[in-house]
Amino acid sequence: MKKKVLIVEDEKNLCLLYKEELTEAGYKVTAVMDADAALKQMRTRRFDLIITDIRMPKKNGIELITQIMALRKDIPIIINTAYQSYKHDFMTWAADAYIVKSSSLDDLKAKIKELIG
Amino acid sequence: MIERYNPFLHEFPAEMSKEFQLFLIIAQSFFQPFSLLDNLLVIMTALTAGHGVGFNRAMLFLADGQKLKGEFWLGPASPEDAESIWRVLSTPGIGYAEIIEHNRSLLNGGADTLTQRVKQLVYPLYQEHPLVPALAISSRELLLIKDAWNEPLLDPRLLEMIHTDEFLCIPLLSGQEVLGEIILDNAITRAPIKSRDVELASICGLIAGNYIYTSRLQKRIIDMKKVAAMGEMAMFVTHQLRNPLVTIGGFADQLLDPKTGPKKRKRNLQIIRSEIRRLEKTLLQLTQFLRVDVREKSTIDIREMLNLVLEAVRPRLDSQKLTLDMEIEAGLRAVLCDPIHTGEAVRNVVDNAIDAVENGGKIYVRAYRESSDWAVVAVEDTGPGIPESVKNKIFESFVSTKEKGMGLGLAYVKRVMDACGGRIEIKSTEGRGTTFKLYFRAEPRK
Repeated sequence: MKKKVLIVEDEKNLCLLYKEELTEAGYKVTAVMDADAALKQMRTRRFDLIITDIRMPKKNGIELITQIMALRKDIPIIINTAYQSYKHDFMTWAADAYIVKSSSLDDLKAKIKELIG
Repeated sequence: MIERYNPFLHEFPAEMSKEFQLFLIIAQSFFQPFSLLDNLLVIMTALTAGHGVGFNRAMLFLADGQKLKGEFWLGPASPEDAESIWRVLSTPGIGYAEIIEHNRSLLNGGADTLTQRVKQLVYPLYQEHPLVPALAISSRELLLIKDAWNEPLLDPRLLEMIHTDEFLCIPLLSGQEVLGEIILDNAITRAPIKSRDVELASICGLIAGNYIYTSRLQKRIIDMKKVAAMGEMAMFVTHQLRNPLVTIGGFADQLLDPKTGPKKRKRNLQIIRSEIRRLEKTLLQLTQFLRVDVREKSTIDIREMLNLVLEAVRPRLDSQKLTLDMEIEAGLRAVLCDPIHTGEAVRNVVDNAIDAVENGGKIYVRAYRESSDWAVVAVEDTGPGIPESVKNKIFESFVSTKEKGMGLGLAYVKRVMDACGGRIEIKSTEGRGTTFKLYFRAEPRK
């Protein structure tokens, strides 16, 4: 059965790109554009992995991770952001991986494979 | 009863002592927008001008890294030169401002042979057996050199240059830091250097040292602020550029895949084009923000400027079916500001108001006279208002309440207003709207 991935990304075009590329890589992908929509999905469906941006309107990625941990402690989380500098932020340590956005999605795909196969 | 005195005296009463005059001149110069060297020139002028301490010549060295370098040498080059300079400077009606200006033109004019000579002198700051002038710095003492031709602890190059048997070396220090040295002499008049002269010159040395130290500290703080601002900006720009670049790169990769069908190809190209336009817009906003450099203010008619702004935002107002009420006080005087940036700044504020009421509301633009010196352009909206937490930093760069905002708009407006000698104020209540007031300096009455 296909592994389920939830992507949280506020850039519409990036959302579309990730969805297409990860679907092509063999995952069942759900993409949402803000943290509240992600939490709503989490309450009704069971995902195998979450990929989230950090800088998002309303609620940022760090706040989202804190709330996800309260819902499901075991779910692997990948932070995917344009900022290199958050990498050393204590709060980002709760995630399983930190990947800086790149036009090549190879690193992201490799990390997903490593975490959920 | 309150008696009022202006702290800045332009003319000194005849009975004022020369010491008092000297310190007033130096203290007042620190309030002028002078450069470090200009202010040191004031101190050196005070030390050498007739009414000051009255030395004939003053030589300045500044510490630069591990070296002590000759900077300038003030005073006449020869007795003939002295006669003509002092004749000019003792002309009735010539004050300190004129003397400083005269000295500045001497230094900048290129004909100043003394300064050209002293610039050749460079000494290591720290050495085992220093000779004068470096000795004053290593011993951290004022050195009064007498019978110079027979003094073995003198650098012969300095003696050859200064060519007099008595002179005074004042180290410029602040805490443990070595900042420079001043050398004073009476080579022209041959007047002996008295203990009173040494005392006064020593105080000037302390002031000069302290001033150099503060100026360098100030420069360091400005540099640090610049680096911090650049870091903040680099981080923000990285984000603004990386997202569209990742999108462009990702969809371009798909285009290279032969399996991609014609429909998807067309869609990808459209996405790539829109992301490139977004990148261009980001660069344009950044360039506009960085380019604020108001050199000369011009007279601007507020009514004309506001009409142009209204014309520019009219399509947005019409497409969103919004109303904007404009009221301009009759007989409002022209204001002084930058003609290019000011209209753009006001437009930024009006654009923000339109953004704020996009879900319905009203915009009011009023221009009126606040006082004889100030004219105000107030832009009010009935939008959701600005949260208290953001209000305090709303004029900082990269702060935005908008989801996709660059956070440069109001920072740009503030830079323009500051550069024009005006200001911007905000009044906002959450749920009730926001008013921005732009204060412009009114053109003086003719």
